[in-house]
Amino acid sequence: MSERRVRPRPVASTVLFVALAVTLVPLLYLFSVSLMGRDETVAGVLWSADPHWSNWGDVLATDIPRSILNSVLAALGGALISLAFAVPGAWAIVRHNAGGRTLGATLMSPWLLPPIVAVVPLLTLLRVIGLNNTLVGLTLVYALVNVPVAVWLLEGFVRRLPVEIEEAARIDGAGSARLLWSVVVPLLLPSLVAIGIIVAILNYNEFLLATFLTQSVDAQTFPVALSLFYGDRTPHFGKIAAASFIGVIPVFAAAVFFQRWLVGGLTAGAVR
Amino acid sequence: MADTLAAPALTRSARPSGLAPRRAGRRASASVALFTAPTILSIIVLGAYPLLFILAAAFSDSTLGRPFQEWVGTANLESILTDADVVASFARTVGYALVVAVASAVFGVAIAVALERATRSGAVVRTLLLLPLITPPVVVGTLWKLVFNPGGGLLATVLPDVSLAPLSTTAWALPAIGLADVWQWTPLIVILVYAALLTQDPAVREAASLDGAHGIRLFQHITWPAIAGTVVAAFFIRLVIALKVFDLVFVMTSGGPGQASTTTTYLIQQVALKEFDIGRASAITIVFAVIVTAVTLVVAGFARKARHE
Repeated sequence: MSERRVRPRPVASTVLFVALAVTLVPLLYLFSVSLMGRDETVAGVLWSADPHWSNWGDVLATDIPRSILNSVLAALGGALISLAFAVPGAWAIVRHNAGGRTLGATLMSPWLLPPIVAVVPLLTLLRVIGLNNTLVGLTLVYALVNVPVAVWLLEGFVRRLPVEIEEAARIDGAGSARLLWSVVVPLLLPSLVAIGIIVAILNYNEFLLATFLTQSVDAQTFPVALSLFYGDRTPHFGKIAAASFIGVIPVFAAAVFFQRWLVGGLTAGAVR
Repeated sequence: MADTLAAPALTRSARPSGLAPRRAGRRASASVALFTAPTILSIIVLGAYPLLFILAAAFSDSTLGRPFQEWVGTANLESILTDADVVASFARTVGYALVVAVASAVFGVAIAVALERATRSGAVVRTLLLLPLITPPVVVGTLWKLVFNPGGGLLATVLPDVSLAPLSTTAWALPAIGLADVWQWTPLIVILVYAALLTQDPAVREAASLDGAHGIRLFQHITWPAIAGTVVAAFFIRLVIALKVFDLVFVMTSGGPGQASTTTTYLIQQVALKEFDIGRASAITIVFAVIVTAVTLVVAGFARKARHE
């Protein structure tokens, strides 16, 4: 092993360097454009001679901050409910083989269909219960959408829990609910953080359902608000870029902060 | 329905089908049913109910405001199957998805292998490489639209002599969307394959390289067999995500110029929300669902074969 560490790997390093450049250049360009004035965005410059921080200020004075807050609320609320629903489900499926092969096989089937399939029926359903055009309605939809995903990711983690601890607790007289809450949930906590982050990011980035289900400004999420930013006849690219960049900050911050858990959640529960 | 990072049925068969409850009392069964209720509810609300709704709408005259006005039999299906625009969108979407998924898989595997070989690259590099994956697709679309902007965009600035405006060219609009799509989703393949590489036994590779296996040969005989199953499963996930492409089309081209980048999901959205014709949109959706299922089944078949080789 120690020999590997010193041996240079020119091909691997080159591939990584190129991959990093391709990944980062567009993001840096977005940041650069966010500081350009109207004339500069059409002049073919790579960096503004006089950075227009006012673009950021102007964007912060629009509905964008409100929409980011909406997105964060729907994303976190949806993720928490998804987890609350998914933990008992995943545990029952793994430990008690609940639903047998049928539940396992149908679990991810809604995911195979294009989400547009569910949009009109969901809109109709929300209208019936009076929650269309509200953040609560969208949060509930997000919560349900991700239950199968969360169950699917959780399964791998639950399978790896030592069953002996649960058996010991059961001999001590713990019922299923008690067992789940006092034994399984604490053991799963790191995985729950990981899956919660992934689900919250999926929710934050979601666009299609949000455009249909939140038309009013009060309930609009960030992707919807950004898509409406093109409304002007002559769009101000600097402000569009600034809005995009500001909206990305919450997810990037979460990713950097929870980096270790994020990678763990993406890899450990998934494809084996 | 958010795009997800999970692989359905095909990976499931490889797992043991659940440890049998060694000591589950009879008392447990009632609570077990209760525990799975939310999961089943979500499958019903997001799978069964929309599917029944769409089926009913496809065979009836339905608008957004007033669904199921009159049963019209197969009239909707016949009309879309004879509509050249709709049929073209199916072919376009499937072709697009296959190309984009293959490109993501090739780049993803290359980067994952490089990431594992370059032992010095740490958590920072990994996190940076993941950024496109967590960038909202609407922002990804905006970002690439700015890059491709013919008047002063990054591409036009770097290559001023070639006048490029891919998003307003019939031939290049879809490939340009594909580029953004590959940029966004390749990291998913990277992270999944990288995880698979970490689980392989380093001693095997050490032994092989001591025996003189390097470069391509080492990859072909040692690395590839260890990750083949994961790569195929990741490709499957990627393909399904590509078949559902919507946000990028919506933001970057609105399906244009003409119909050049109208993928099926975008077409369905247009028919449902611009024409309010839910019956027709449902019929397209059902045919598309059949096509998606057929394509994914073929790929899943290959996946199973690769896994057992």
